[in-house]
Amino acid sequence: MAPAGDARLLDRVRAGDQQAMTDIFDRYGRMVYSVALRVLEDPGHAEDVMQEVLFKVWREPHTFLEGRGSLGAWLAVMARNRAIDALRRRRPTETVDDVVLVSKTNLASEIEQSSMIEKVRGVLKGLPLEQQTSMELAYFEGLSHSEIAARTGDPLGTVKTRIRAALISLRKALEA
Amino acid sequence: MMDGGHIAQEDLALFAMHSCSEEESAAVRSHVKECAACRSELEKVSGDLAVVAMSVELHPLPEGARQRFIERISAAPVAMERGTQAPVISIRKEQTARRPLAWIPWAAAAALAFVAVSLAVEINSLNHRLQSESNQLAELAAANAHAQEVLEVLTAPAAQRVVLTAGKAAPAPSARAVYLPARGALIFQASNMGPLPENKAYELWVIPANGKAPIPAGLFWPDATGSASLVLPPLPVGVEAKAFGVTIERAEGSATPTSPIVLAGAAPTS
Repeated sequence: MAPAGDARLLDRVRAGDQQAMTDIFDRYGRMVYSVALRVLEDPGHAEDVMQEVLFKVWREPHTFLEGRGSLGAWLAVMARNRAIDALRRRRPTETVDDVVLVSKTNLASEIEQSSMIEKVRGVLKGLPLEQQTSMELAYFEGLSHSEIAARTGDPLGTVKTRIRAALISLRKALEA
Repeated sequence: MMDGGHIAQEDLALFAMHSCSEEESAAVRSHVKECAACRSELEKVSGDLAVVAMSVELHPLPEGARQRFIERISAAPVAMERGTQAPVISIRKEQTARRPLAWIPWAAAAALAFVAVSLAVEINSLNHRLQSESNQLAELAAANAHAQEVLEVLTAPAAQRVVLTAGKAAPAPSARAVYLPARGALIFQASNMGPLPENKAYELWVIPANGKAPIPAGLFWPDATGSASLVLPPLPVGVEAKAFGVTIERAEGSATPTSPIVLAGAAPTS
Protein backbone atom coordinates (compact mmCIF):
# COMPACT_ATOMS: atom_id res chain seq x y z
CA MET A 1 0.00 0.00 0.00
CA ALA A 2 1.49 3.33 -1.01
CA PRO A 3 1.35 6.19 1.46
CA ALA A 4 -1.93 8.02 1.39
CA GLY A 5 -2.13 10.32 -1.55
CA ASP A 6 0.88 9.07 -3.53
CA ALA A 7 -1.17 6.89 -5.85
CA ARG A 8 -3.56 9.72 -6.56
CA LEU A 9 -0.68 12.14 -7.15
CA LEU A 10 0.95 9.72 -9.57
CA ASP A 11 -2.33 9.32 -11.46
CA ARG A 12 -2.44 13.09 -11.86
CA VAL A 13 1.22 13.20 -12.91
CA ARG A 14 0.47 10.61 -15.58
CA ALA A 15 -2.17 13.00 -16.85
CA GLY A 16 0.41 15.80 -16.98
CA ASP A 17 -0.63 17.68 -13.84
CA GLN A 18 2.35 19.86 -12.88
CA GLN A 19 0.89 20.75 -9.50
CA ALA A 20 0.77 17.06 -8.60
CA MET A 21 4.44 16.71 -9.56
CA THR A 22 5.26 19.75 -7.47
CA ASP A 23 3.44 18.15 -4.54
CA ILE A 24 5.57 15.02 -4.96
CA PHE A 25 8.67 17.23 -5.06
CA ASP A 26 7.59 18.97 -1.86
CA ARG A 27 6.92 15.62 -0.21
CA TYR A 28 10.10 13.78 -1.19
CA GLY A 29 12.57 16.27 -2.68
CA ARG A 30 14.36 16.91 0.58
CA MET A 31 14.75 13.22 1.33
CA VAL A 32 15.99 12.43 -2.20
CA TYR A 33 18.46 15.31 -2.00
CA SER A 34 19.65 14.19 1.44
CA VAL A 35 20.26 10.63 0.25
CA ALA A 36 22.30 11.90 -2.70
CA LEU A 37 24.16 14.35 -0.47
CA ARG A 38 24.96 11.54 1.97
CA VAL A 39 26.67 9.63 -0.84
CA LEU A 40 28.23 12.44 -2.85
CA GLU A 41 28.97 14.98 -0.10
CA ASP A 42 28.64 17.73 -2.69
CA PRO A 43 25.51 19.92 -2.71
CA GLY A 44 25.73 20.68 -6.44
CA HIS A 45 26.08 17.09 -7.51
CA ALA A 46 23.45 16.01 -4.99
CA GLU A 47 20.98 18.47 -6.47
CA ASP A 48 21.75 17.15 -9.95
CA VAL A 49 20.86 13.66 -8.77
CA MET A 50 17.75 14.90 -6.99
CA GLN A 51 16.57 16.79 -10.07
CA GLU A 52 17.28 13.79 -12.28
CA VAL A 53 15.45 11.30 -10.06
CA LEU A 54 12.35 13.46 -9.63
CA PHE A 55 12.36 14.54 -13.27
CA LYS A 56 12.25 10.86 -14.18
CA VAL A 57 9.01 10.58 -12.22
CA TRP A 58 7.62 13.45 -14.27
CA ARG A 59 8.80 12.15 -17.63
CA GLU A 60 8.26 8.45 -16.98
CA PRO A 61 5.74 8.05 -14.16
CA HIS A 62 4.98 4.52 -15.31
CA THR A 63 8.45 3.36 -14.21
CA PHE A 64 7.27 3.34 -10.60
CA LEU A 65 5.36 0.13 -10.26
CA GLU A 66 2.71 0.34 -7.62
CA GLY A 67 2.54 -2.76 -5.49
CA ARG A 68 6.31 -2.99 -5.16
CA GLY A 69 6.52 -0.70 -2.18
CA SER A 70 6.16 2.93 -1.36
CA LEU A 71 7.02 5.79 -3.70
CA GLY A 72 9.27 7.25 -1.00
CA ALA A 73 11.29 4.05 -0.70
CA TRP A 74 11.56 3.77 -4.47
CA LEU A 75 12.80 7.33 -4.75
CA ALA A 76 15.28 6.84 -1.92
CA VAL A 77 16.76 3.77 -3.60
CA MET A 78 16.81 5.50 -6.99
CA ALA A 79 18.65 8.44 -5.43
CA ARG A 80 21.14 6.16 -3.72
CA ASN A 81 21.81 4.17 -6.88
CA ARG A 82 22.15 7.25 -9.09
CA ALA A 83 24.46 8.88 -6.57
CA ILE A 84 26.60 5.76 -6.32
CA ASP A 85 26.79 5.61 -10.12
CA ALA A 86 27.98 9.20 -10.13
CA LEU A 87 30.42 8.52 -7.30
CA ARG A 88 31.77 5.40 -8.91
CA ARG A 89 31.70 7.08 -12.32
CA ARG A 90 29.55 4.38 -13.75
CA ARG A 91 26.86 4.58 -16.28
CA PRO A 92 23.38 4.40 -14.79
CA THR A 93 22.91 0.75 -14.01
CA GLU A 94 19.49 0.21 -12.64
CA THR A 95 16.86 -1.75 -14.37
CA VAL A 96 13.32 -1.92 -13.11
CA ASP A 97 13.98 -5.31 -11.55
CA ASP A 98 17.22 -4.28 -9.90
CA VAL A 99 16.19 -0.92 -8.54
CA VAL A 100 13.92 -2.00 -5.81
CA LEU A 101 12.11 -5.12 -4.86
CA VAL A 102 10.60 -3.60 -1.82
CA SER A 103 8.99 -5.87 0.68
CA LYS A 104 5.49 -4.76 1.43
CA THR A 105 5.75 -6.06 4.94
CA ASN A 106 8.20 -3.51 6.24
CA LEU A 107 7.69 -0.67 3.82
CA ALA A 108 3.99 -0.22 3.85
CA SER A 109 2.41 2.58 5.78
CA GLU A 110 4.84 2.15 8.66
CA ILE A 111 7.73 3.63 6.76
CA GLU A 112 5.92 6.90 6.67
CA GLN A 113 6.08 7.07 10.40
CA SER A 114 9.03 8.95 11.71
CA SER A 115 9.27 6.48 14.58
CA MET A 116 10.27 3.75 12.13
CA ILE A 117 13.02 5.87 10.66
CA GLU A 118 14.17 6.89 14.10
CA LYS A 119 14.28 3.23 15.07
CA VAL A 120 16.48 2.42 12.07
CA ARG A 121 18.79 5.32 12.84
CA GLY A 122 19.12 4.00 16.37
CA VAL A 123 19.92 0.50 15.18
CA LEU A 124 22.56 1.71 12.74
CA LYS A 125 24.19 3.90 15.37
CA GLY A 126 24.14 1.03 17.85
CA LEU A 127 25.92 -1.43 15.58
CA PRO A 128 29.50 -2.37 16.45
CA LEU A 129 31.89 -0.01 14.70
CA GLU A 130 33.16 -2.67 12.30
CA GLN A 131 29.62 -3.50 11.18
CA GLN A 132 28.82 0.20 10.78
CA THR A 133 31.90 0.65 8.63
CA SER A 134 31.14 -2.33 6.42
CA MET A 135 27.54 -1.18 5.84
CA GLU A 136 28.70 2.37 5.31
CA LEU A 137 31.25 1.40 2.69
CA ALA A 138 28.86 -0.96 0.95
CA TYR A 139 25.72 1.16 0.97
CA PHE A 140 26.88 4.75 0.91
CA GLU A 141 30.13 4.32 -1.00
CA GLY A 142 29.03 1.46 -3.24
CA LEU A 143 32.09 -0.70 -2.62
CA SER A 144 32.02 -4.42 -3.33
CA HIS A 145 32.88 -6.83 -0.51
CA SER A 146 36.34 -7.39 -2.00
CA GLU A 147 36.90 -3.63 -2.19
CA ILE A 148 35.77 -3.28 1.42
CA ALA A 149 38.18 -6.05 2.42
CA ALA A 150 40.99 -4.26 0.61
CA ARG A 151 40.06 -0.94 2.22
CA THR A 152 39.79 -2.26 5.79
CA GLY A 153 42.40 -4.98 5.58
CA ASP A 154 39.91 -7.57 6.82
CA PRO A 155 39.40 -10.99 5.27
CA LEU A 156 36.58 -11.23 2.72
CA GLY A 157 34.62 -13.64 4.88
CA THR A 158 34.77 -11.25 7.81
CA VAL A 159 33.38 -8.44 5.72
CA LYS A 160 30.46 -10.61 4.63
CA THR A 161 29.83 -11.75 8.18
CA ARG A 162 29.67 -8.15 9.37
CA ILE A 163 27.24 -7.16 6.64
CA ARG A 164 25.11 -10.18 7.49
CA ALA A 165 25.12 -9.32 11.19
CA ALA A 166 24.18 -5.72 10.45
CA LEU A 167 21.30 -6.85 8.23
CA ILE A 168 20.05 -9.22 10.90
CA SER A 169 20.03 -6.42 13.48
CA LEU A 170 18.21 -4.17 11.06
CA ARG A 171 15.63 -6.84 10.20
CA LYS A 172 14.98 -7.54 13.87
CA ALA A 173 14.33 -3.86 14.50
CA LEU A 174 12.03 -3.54 11.51
CA GLU A 175 10.04 -6.61 12.43
CA ALA A 176 9.83 -5.79 16.12
CA MET B 1 27.77 -17.40 -2.72
CA MET B 2 25.37 -20.34 -2.43
CA ASP B 3 24.38 -21.45 1.04
CA GLY B 4 22.48 -24.74 1.20
CA GLY B 5 21.05 -24.36 -2.30
CA HIS B 6 20.11 -20.73 -1.70
CA ILE B 7 21.96 -17.46 -2.00
CA ALA B 8 23.36 -16.14 1.26
CA GLN B 9 21.57 -13.10 2.67
CA GLU B 10 24.67 -10.91 2.55
CA ASP B 11 25.15 -11.75 -1.13
CA LEU B 12 21.55 -10.81 -1.83
CA ALA B 13 22.23 -7.55 -0.03
CA LEU B 14 25.33 -6.90 -2.10
CA PHE B 15 23.30 -7.66 -5.24
CA ALA B 16 20.60 -5.23 -4.12
CA MET B 17 23.30 -2.61 -3.54
CA HIS B 18 24.73 -3.21 -7.06
CA SER B 19 27.98 -4.21 -5.38
CA CYS B 20 28.36 -7.57 -7.15
CA SER B 21 30.47 -8.20 -10.20
CA GLU B 22 28.66 -8.75 -13.50
CA GLU B 23 29.11 -12.50 -13.19
CA GLU B 24 27.81 -12.58 -9.62
CA SER B 25 24.86 -10.38 -10.54
CA ALA B 26 23.99 -12.62 -13.45
CA ALA B 27 24.13 -15.67 -11.18
CA VAL B 28 21.86 -14.02 -8.59
CA ARG B 29 19.40 -12.86 -11.26
CA SER B 30 19.24 -16.31 -12.76
CA HIS B 31 18.78 -18.04 -9.41
CA VAL B 32 16.20 -15.59 -8.09
CA LYS B 33 14.12 -16.01 -11.21
CA GLU B 34 13.68 -19.67 -10.36
CA CYS B 35 13.79 -19.64 -6.54
CA ALA B 36 10.81 -18.17 -4.75
CA ALA B 37 12.53 -18.30 -1.35
CA CYS B 38 15.52 -16.28 -2.51
CA ARG B 39 13.29 -13.87 -4.40
CA SER B 40 11.27 -13.30 -1.26
CA GLU B 41 14.44 -12.78 0.78
CA LEU B 42 15.77 -10.39 -1.85
CA GLU B 43 12.58 -8.37 -1.58
CA LYS B 44 12.98 -8.22 2.19
CA VAL B 45 16.64 -7.23 1.97
CA SER B 46 15.82 -4.58 -0.63
CA GLY B 47 13.13 -3.23 1.65
CA ASP B 48 15.51 -3.17 4.62
CA LEU B 49 18.12 -1.31 2.58
CA ALA B 50 15.55 1.17 1.30
CA VAL B 51 14.83 2.04 4.91
CA VAL B 52 18.54 2.61 5.45
CA ALA B 53 18.47 5.12 2.58
CA MET B 54 15.39 6.81 3.98
CA SER B 55 16.93 7.12 7.40
CA VAL B 56 19.67 9.53 6.35
CA GLU B 57 19.82 12.83 8.14
CA LEU B 58 17.66 15.35 6.29
CA HIS B 59 19.21 18.50 4.87
CA PRO B 60 17.46 21.57 3.50
CA LEU B 61 17.28 21.84 -0.26
CA PRO B 62 19.68 24.25 -1.96
CA GLU B 63 18.21 27.67 -2.56
CA GLY B 64 16.21 27.82 -5.76
CA ALA B 65 16.13 24.04 -6.23
CA ARG B 66 12.35 23.92 -6.11
CA GLN B 67 11.97 26.71 -8.65
CA ARG B 68 14.52 25.10 -10.95
CA PHE B 69 12.54 21.88 -10.82
CA ILE B 70 9.26 23.61 -11.55
CA GLU B 71 10.80 25.40 -14.52
CA ARG B 72 12.18 22.12 -15.76
CA ILE B 73 8.88 20.27 -15.68
CA SER B 74 7.13 23.29 -17.19
CA ALA B 75 9.49 23.03 -20.15
CA ALA B 76 9.08 19.28 -20.63
CA PRO B 77 5.81 17.46 -20.93
CA VAL B 78 5.18 14.07 -19.37
CA ALA B 79 6.49 11.42 -21.73
CA MET B 80 3.08 10.29 -22.87
CA GLU B 81 0.57 11.45 -25.32
CA ARG B 82 -2.10 13.14 -23.36
CA GLY B 83 -4.35 12.93 -26.38
CA THR B 84 -4.37 9.17 -26.15
CA GLN B 85 -5.90 9.15 -22.74
CA ALA B 86 -9.42 8.00 -22.68
CA PRO B 87 -11.61 10.99 -22.18
CA VAL B 88 -13.16 11.08 -18.80
CA ILE B 89 -16.84 11.26 -19.39
CA SER B 90 -18.75 12.81 -16.60
CA ILE B 91 -21.83 10.89 -15.94
CA ARG B 92 -22.73 12.82 -12.87
CA LYS B 93 -26.28 13.87 -13.19
CA GLU B 94 -27.07 17.51 -13.35
CA GLN B 95 -28.26 18.58 -9.97
CA THR B 96 -31.57 20.20 -10.21
CA ALA B 97 -33.37 21.95 -7.49
CA ARG B 98 -36.03 19.88 -5.98
CA ARG B 99 -39.33 21.39 -5.50
CA PRO B 100 -41.64 20.18 -2.87
CA LEU B 101 -44.26 18.23 -4.67
CA ALA B 102 -46.52 17.26 -1.89
CA TRP B 103 -49.28 16.31 -4.18
CA ILE B 104 -47.40 13.31 -5.65
CA PRO B 105 -48.77 10.11 -4.25
CA TRP B 106 -46.54 8.17 -1.85
CA ALA B 107 -46.37 5.28 -4.22
CA ALA B 108 -44.90 7.40 -6.99
CA ALA B 109 -42.35 8.83 -4.57
CA ALA B 110 -41.25 5.37 -3.54
CA ALA B 111 -40.90 4.32 -7.17
CA LEU B 112 -38.80 7.38 -7.96
CA ALA B 113 -36.59 6.70 -4.98
CA PHE B 114 -36.04 3.11 -6.14
CA VAL B 115 -35.13 4.28 -9.63
CA ALA B 116 -32.75 6.89 -8.20
CA VAL B 117 -30.95 4.33 -6.06
CA SER B 118 -30.66 1.95 -9.00
CA LEU B 119 -29.25 4.71 -11.16
CA ALA B 120 -26.78 5.70 -8.47
CA VAL B 121 -25.49 2.13 -8.22
CA GLU B 122 -25.18 1.90 -11.98
CA ILE B 123 -23.44 5.26 -12.21
CA ASN B 124 -20.98 4.20 -9.55
CA SER B 125 -20.24 0.98 -11.39
CA LEU B 126 -19.76 2.81 -14.68
CA ASN B 127 -17.45 5.29 -13.00
CA HIS B 128 -15.27 2.47 -11.72
CA ARG B 129 -15.13 0.84 -15.13
CA LEU B 130 -14.28 4.10 -16.83
CA GLN B 131 -11.54 4.83 -14.31
CA SER B 132 -10.05 1.37 -14.70
CA GLU B 133 -10.06 1.55 -18.49
CA SER B 134 -8.69 5.05 -18.41
CA ASN B 135 -5.81 3.91 -16.18
CA GLN B 136 -5.03 0.99 -18.48
CA LEU B 137 -4.93 3.27 -21.51
CA ALA B 138 -2.67 5.72 -19.71
CA GLU B 139 -0.25 2.95 -18.76
CA LEU B 140 -0.11 1.62 -22.30
CA ALA B 141 0.43 5.10 -23.70
CA ALA B 142 3.18 5.80 -21.22
CA ALA B 143 4.94 2.52 -21.97
CA ASN B 144 5.04 3.35 -25.67
CA ALA B 145 5.76 7.04 -25.35
CA HIS B 146 9.52 6.81 -25.07
CA ALA B 147 9.93 4.68 -28.18
CA GLN B 148 7.47 6.86 -30.03
CA GLU B 149 9.38 9.99 -29.09
CA VAL B 150 12.62 8.47 -30.36
CA LEU B 151 10.94 7.65 -33.66
CA GLU B 152 9.44 11.10 -33.95
CA VAL B 153 12.78 12.77 -33.37
CA LEU B 154 14.55 10.52 -35.86
CA THR B 155 11.96 11.10 -38.56
CA ALA B 156 11.00 14.73 -37.91
CA PRO B 157 11.62 16.90 -40.99
CA ALA B 158 12.60 19.78 -38.71
CA ALA B 159 15.28 17.76 -36.91
CA GLN B 160 18.85 18.96 -37.40
CA ARG B 161 21.12 16.13 -38.52
CA VAL B 162 24.74 16.71 -37.80
CA VAL B 163 27.82 14.61 -38.43
CA LEU B 164 30.57 15.24 -35.91
CA THR B 165 34.10 14.37 -36.91
CA ALA B 166 37.54 14.72 -35.44
CA GLY B 167 39.11 18.12 -35.94
CA LYS B 168 42.09 16.69 -37.71
CA ALA B 169 42.47 14.03 -40.34
CA ALA B 170 42.11 11.10 -37.99
CA PRO B 171 39.25 9.18 -39.54
CA ALA B 172 38.24 6.99 -36.68
CA PRO B 173 36.10 8.83 -34.12
CA SER B 174 32.82 10.21 -35.38
CA ALA B 175 29.35 10.89 -34.11
CA ARG B 176 25.93 11.85 -35.30
CA ALA B 177 23.46 14.07 -33.50
CA VAL B 178 19.78 14.38 -34.32
CA TYR B 179 18.35 17.38 -32.56
CA LEU B 180 14.83 18.78 -32.43
CA PRO B 181 15.06 22.19 -30.73
CA ALA B 182 11.32 22.67 -30.40
CA ARG B 183 11.16 19.63 -28.12
CA GLY B 184 14.59 19.85 -26.55
CA ALA B 185 15.10 16.34 -27.90
CA LEU B 186 18.49 14.99 -28.86
CA ILE B 187 19.71 11.60 -30.00
CA PHE B 188 23.44 11.16 -30.23
CA GLN B 189 25.45 8.20 -31.46
CA ALA B 190 29.23 8.04 -31.44
CA SER B 191 31.54 5.43 -32.85
CA ASN B 192 35.24 4.66 -32.88
CA MET B 193 35.74 6.74 -29.76
CA GLY B 194 39.07 6.27 -28.07
CA PRO B 195 39.32 4.87 -24.55
CA LEU B 196 39.18 7.39 -21.74
CA PRO B 197 41.76 8.05 -19.07
CA GLU B 198 40.85 7.00 -15.55
CA ASN B 199 38.23 9.24 -13.92
CA LYS B 200 37.31 10.92 -17.21
CA ALA B 201 34.19 10.97 -19.33
CA TYR B 202 33.18 12.30 -22.70
CA GLU B 203 30.71 15.15 -22.40
CA LEU B 204 28.44 16.35 -25.19
CA TRP B 205 27.65 20.06 -25.50
CA VAL B 206 24.96 21.95 -27.34
CA ILE B 207 26.34 25.30 -28.53
CA PRO B 208 23.33 27.67 -28.65
CA ALA B 209 22.87 29.81 -31.73
CA ASN B 210 22.09 32.80 -29.54
CA GLY B 211 25.67 32.97 -28.31
CA LYS B 212 24.92 31.83 -24.78
CA ALA B 213 27.12 29.39 -22.88
CA PRO B 214 27.34 25.77 -24.08
CA ILE B 215 24.69 23.53 -22.56
CA PRO B 216 25.86 20.16 -21.18
CA ALA B 217 23.90 17.41 -22.91
CA GLY B 218 25.18 14.35 -21.09
CA LEU B 219 28.17 12.22 -20.23
CA PHE B 220 29.07 9.05 -22.04
CA TRP B 221 31.62 6.31 -21.90
CA PRO B 222 32.31 4.28 -25.06
CA ASP B 223 32.06 0.52 -24.89
CA ALA B 224 34.81 -1.86 -25.91
CA THR B 225 34.11 -1.17 -29.59
CA GLY B 226 34.24 2.59 -29.09
CA SER B 227 30.50 3.07 -29.49
CA ALA B 228 28.30 5.17 -27.25
CA SER B 229 24.97 6.91 -27.37
CA LEU B 230 22.84 9.47 -25.57
CA VAL B 231 19.10 9.23 -26.03
CA LEU B 232 16.87 12.12 -25.05
CA PRO B 233 19.06 13.66 -22.36
CA PRO B 234 17.34 16.40 -20.34
CA LEU B 235 17.66 19.64 -22.29
CA PRO B 236 15.83 22.95 -22.27
CA VAL B 237 13.18 23.35 -24.92
CA GLY B 238 13.42 25.81 -27.78
CA VAL B 239 17.20 26.33 -27.89
CA GLU B 240 18.39 26.55 -31.48
CA ALA B 241 21.82 24.98 -31.84
CA LYS B 242 24.69 26.50 -33.71
CA ALA B 243 26.90 23.48 -33.22
CA PHE B 244 27.61 20.44 -31.11
CA GLY B 245 30.83 19.50 -29.44
CA VAL B 246 32.35 16.73 -27.40
CA THR B 247 35.05 17.24 -24.80
CA ILE B 248 36.77 15.05 -22.26
CA GLU B 249 35.80 16.09 -18.76
CA ARG B 250 35.91 14.84 -15.22
CA ALA B 251 33.82 11.69 -14.80
CA GLU B 252 31.18 13.58 -12.86
CA GLY B 253 30.89 16.13 -15.66
CA SER B 254 31.54 19.85 -15.89
CA ALA B 255 29.30 22.88 -15.99
CA THR B 256 31.40 24.34 -18.80
CA PRO B 257 33.72 22.66 -21.28
CA THR B 258 37.25 22.60 -19.94
CA SER B 259 39.28 20.55 -22.36
CA PRO B 260 39.92 20.89 -26.10
CA ILE B 261 37.06 19.82 -28.29
CA VAL B 262 37.43 16.21 -29.37
CA LEU B 263 34.54 16.20 -31.85
CA ALA B 264 32.59 19.09 -33.27
CA GLY B 265 29.91 19.65 -35.83
CA ALA B 266 28.02 22.72 -36.98
CA ALA B 267 24.26 22.55 -37.19
CA PRO B 268 22.83 23.33 -40.64
CA THR B 269 21.29 26.76 -40.82
CA SER B 270 17.60 26.69 -41.50
